[in-house]
Amino acid sequence: MVGLLGPNGSGKSTLFDVLGGLLTPTAGEVWFRGERVTGRPPWVIGRLGLGRTFQIPRPFAGLSVLDSVLVGVTFRRRDRYRRTADRRREAERLLVLVGLGDKCGARATELSLGQMKRLELAMALSSRPSLLFLDELASGLSPRGREDVLLFYGRLRERGLTIFAIEHAFGVLARVADRMLVLDQGQIVADGPPAAVLASARVAEAYLGEEDP
Amino acid sequence: MARWLGALAGAILLALLPVLLGFQPYALYLLASAFLWASVASAWNLLAYAGQISFGHAAFFGLGAYAGALSSLAGLSPWGAVLLGGLAGAGGAALIGLASQRLRGAYLALATLAYAEVCRGIVLNWSDVTGGGAGLIGIPALPAMAWLPAPITRGRAAGYYAALAILLAVLVLFALILRSRVGLAWAAVREEEARASVLGLRPLPWKLLAFALSGAFTGLGGALYAHLVRVVEPDLVFNRYYSILPLVMATFGGLHTLLGPAAAAVGLFLLSELVLHPIDPALNQLGYALALILGVLYWPGGLMGLLGRRRRVHP
Repeated sequence: MVGLLGPNGSGKSTLFDVLGGLLTPTAGEVWFRGERVTGRPPWVIGRLGLGRTFQIPRPFAGLSVLDSVLVGVTFRRRDRYRRTADRRREAERLLVLVGLGDKCGARATELSLGQMKRLELAMALSSRPSLLFLDELASGLSPRGREDVLLFYGRLRERGLTIFAIEHAFGVLARVADRMLVLDQGQIVADGPPAAVLASARVAEAYLGEEDP
Repeated sequence: MARWLGALAGAILLALLPVLLGFQPYALYLLASAFLWASVASAWNLLAYAGQISFGHAAFFGLGAYAGALSSLAGLSPWGAVLLGGLAGAGGAALIGLASQRLRGAYLALATLAYAEVCRGIVLNWSDVTGGGAGLIGIPALPAMAWLPAPITRGRAAGYYAALAILLAVLVLFALILRSRVGLAWAAVREEEARASVLGLRPLPWKLLAFALSGAFTGLGGALYAHLVRVVEPDLVFNRYYSILPLVMATFGGLHTLLGPAAAAVGLFLLSELVLHPIDPALNQLGYALALILGVLYWPGGLMGLLGRRRRVHP
């Protein structure tokens, strides 16, 4: 699991958008599973095995919670011709995994922020990704909510997923990440194990600014 | 099951309505026209369900009308000509959808309006084929259905049943789509296209399907209209009313609902023809204007919303 930190406006979510195909970079290349995917549309990269959540949840407002997850289950490349009942059962299992099993019939817009973030996670998992981008799953949540997110990170790792996660809170990622990157104004200023990154003066400068001479 | 049985009962009632009306020609013409508008409004709603707002349905109506008229005048059976009109509407709509694939919202709507004007302009100026501004006359009437009992073969009955058939077809298709992966794809593209794309859904084929189906039923309506009035000209069948009124009807009836647009279309058309127009022809469009104002300002869910049916959550 790789964590990505950085102050507001450093380009974390933009990086996800570029890697995931929602934005086309003006320079550089993106490679995924040995294939050059720079500038390819998001549905191509999604079908190659990338799943992601959004920092501000983007539910399908006109769909039920179950149908929101059904979209990824139905339209991913692999086994997309299964029967409706099988697809619905898989969507229900994903919702139970994220703790929304009792919300299948609710509209996505009726959920609380924490529930919407869980729905985002279920939707990201619905396409059976091998690489998961998680954008600030814990932000805006209570301490209890953040603990739940840590549990999810652990469960996802147990499923063998490679995770690239953005968080604001150092503590959340430091407990679960194998490697941390820190972004500042679009540049990587630190890269290494969590303890070393968090102790870095350059990281402190990125968050707190330069010391007065 | 109960809903399907209710729908079947409604269809049977509508099929028997001419008998109850004594096959009165004007009544049949009026109802056939109402059903045509209901079909076009439902077809517009179908495209809107996929998140594509069109101001250019006059293009599909006109293409269907001219394709039906030209093929009928060339000797094709009028029924075959009507079907060909549907194909022309579908093809034209798919091309417009393809050309507009990068546009969203108001930009898409304006582009469809422009394409409709382009179609009208081409037909107006391609006088060798289309008759130009004078249009085409003498389009064969729909053949009498000789194999049915005598009253059915008279006057407007064929047009009534053809219009009813098109309306029922678009409603049945929409009902089936709502419960299928097509409906799920359309709803996802409508609500959050980028989100749907990230999940592996490729938006373009689903949008083109929506354009093609919407264009097909609108084109069928245009071709049938051509055979009912037996004349087509650019300002008649490419009239902006065929772009704007379906929008008004669908909004007033209930966007994205199954029956709202059709019910509103029939109600507003009959109100206009039977109540407002006889009072003063200048009042003809007043009903539509009031319906749009009411729908936008006070009844965002339309008539179906007032009846307690929320804008459709994809089932």
